[in-house]
Amino acid sequence: MRAFIDARTVPSGTLLQPDLAIIGGGPVGISLALALANSPIRMVLLESGGMSFDAKTQALYRGSKTGTPYLSLEGSRLRYLGGSTNHWGGWCRPLDEIDFEPRSWLPHSGWPFARKEIARFFPHAQSLCEAGPAIYDRAGLWADGAPIALGEGGVATRWFQFSKTRGGVLPTHFGERYADDLKRIPRLGVYLHANVTGLRLTQDAARLDHLDVATLNGRHFTVKPKIAVVALGAIESARLLLASNDVMATGVGNAHDLVGRFFADHPIPRDTATLVVFGGAVAPYYTDVQTIHGAVMRAGFIPSESYRRAQAAMDSSTTIENKVELDDLGKAALAATAAALGVDASNAQAYSLGCGMEIAPDPERRLTLEGERDALGMPRLKLAMRIADSDFAHFRDTLKELARQLLAARSGMLRLNLKTREEWLAGLDWGNHHMGTARMHVDPRQGVVDANSAVHGISNLFVAGSAVFPTYGAANPTMNLLALTLRLAEHLRVVLR
Amino acid sequence: MKLPTRRQAVIGGGLLAVAAVAALEGPRLLRKRYAPSPYDDLLRLLDDRDADAQLGEAVLADRGDFDADAVAEELRARLAGRPLSDVMREDAQQGRVTEADGWVLPETLALLCALAAKAS
Repeated sequence: MRAFIDARTVPSGTLLQPDLAIIGGGPVGISLALALANSPIRMVLLESGGMSFDAKTQALYRGSKTGTPYLSLEGSRLRYLGGSTNHWGGWCRPLDEIDFEPRSWLPHSGWPFARKEIARFFPHAQSLCEAGPAIYDRAGLWADGAPIALGEGGVATRWFQFSKTRGGVLPTHFGERYADDLKRIPRLGVYLHANVTGLRLTQDAARLDHLDVATLNGRHFTVKPKIAVVALGAIESARLLLASNDVMATGVGNAHDLVGRFFADHPIPRDTATLVVFGGAVAPYYTDVQTIHGAVMRAGFIPSESYRRAQAAMDSSTTIENKVELDDLGKAALAATAAALGVDASNAQAYSLGCGMEIAPDPERRLTLEGERDALGMPRLKLAMRIADSDFAHFRDTLKELARQLLAARSGMLRLNLKTREEWLAGLDWGNHHMGTARMHVDPRQGVVDANSAVHGISNLFVAGSAVFPTYGAANPTMNLLALTLRLAEHLRVVLR
Repeated sequence: MKLPTRRQAVIGGGLLAVAAVAALEGPRLLRKRYAPSPYDDLLRLLDDRDADAQLGEAVLADRGDFDADAVAEELRARLAGRPLSDVMREDAQQGRVTEADGWVLPETLALLCALAAKAS
């Protein structure tokens, strides 16, 4: 086994010349290295942090924000080996086919390829997440308790799987979990505390020439790879591209002013609706994770692809959270509705609903550099956050469809708790699912990277991870970005042959 | 055992008679009475008119214009003697739902509740 290298001990002026430099030791960087473990490719993996949290390293993430209330830039991610899997929730679900399709009613939508292009990597991605056998929407075959009856319509009970839990709490932390596997890769050098501060291009801007690397104790060295992959997450990847502006004045890959635009996350508004189930308590898999057929699973309400196509609806996932008491009007609504439907609601139970929503791609939701610099001299970022009223309206329509299906099945009813923009924003949380700032498109005027994740016009520089997602869906991104990374690994094997 | 006096027997019999009448006719006599309205044929379909009127106020708050007579005519045509539960389900299946303070209701129920509010 090869021990990890502390970059703070590397002499300044050192030159490393691997075949492949992986910039970032989060789930993408780790999975890419693991996927190429049996290849002859000589790799270095450069991780800013160490094996655990360090406040000075984490402070490199600090930035500012304007617009719609959002998480602090340093608080919504983690900067040490394993990246943000060190605080993820472990939710897994593959994107749907429609998530990859261009939709005329959704500007800037669509991927350069169909879902099947990455679907073949889902089993491996699922394995990396330690999420058990891929059961998903077949879980109902083995689950205890009947699903909530819904009339024919656009919303159905569908399923999430979870990354391996430890003591019932923690999912797979990629750094801790795969550290020994990385050390066993003979042609890989993992450099901890190594911050890439510049992507230096050749003078014709056609190729990456080398990487500047710095440490917080003042060491500076150079990596000159044949190929480099930026795998820093959607926020930091944009920062590194924009800040590397010595040859391309607007930043690497930013000839068309796209880097940092289209930033996205999944809004998680709380208590979006009150669900009343006439028959009483719901099956336990709606409110908590359950082990089903060897997988840790939980059910929610998700709009079908046919409904989304027919109604021009965005994706969402609605979950049943906690029991609630009805107020007087709620009790009146329940009594009136149950009596009129002719059902016994004497054991009815009310629940609060939560959700994760997809938002539309928006070029004005963007990251830009600001004047202040961090301890390494890198310009900090400013996020202009936005969310459109139409994003909320799309989700509200889906909830209303769910309400209609409950009434049609005479199984329950729903109150839509949020109506005005102020109400939606008051309880708004976010998924920490950063996406979209180096979007993928075959046209350089519409995307930063091409269908192979190569930066347009720079043949040996790639961006990996959810930064390249051009449309987002509502599925949690980790397993999907891993599948995309495994596809990139396959491509790099060919390119570096 | 001492027999009741005639006076005691009369009083006791009278009390029994009052209790019997109260048991048999009490609910009808004590039932809340509503002023007659042009929609009583429809409002008879509701189970708890006070609670339904409360819900109806919420329906009316979300509807700027509400022509009660026209709504009543529409409901009579829609119901056409069919069970309310059938019409409710049909509403939901055909997408005829409406909101009352966020509660998503079958439209027929919402309109009946609104009429109850108008009539109270």
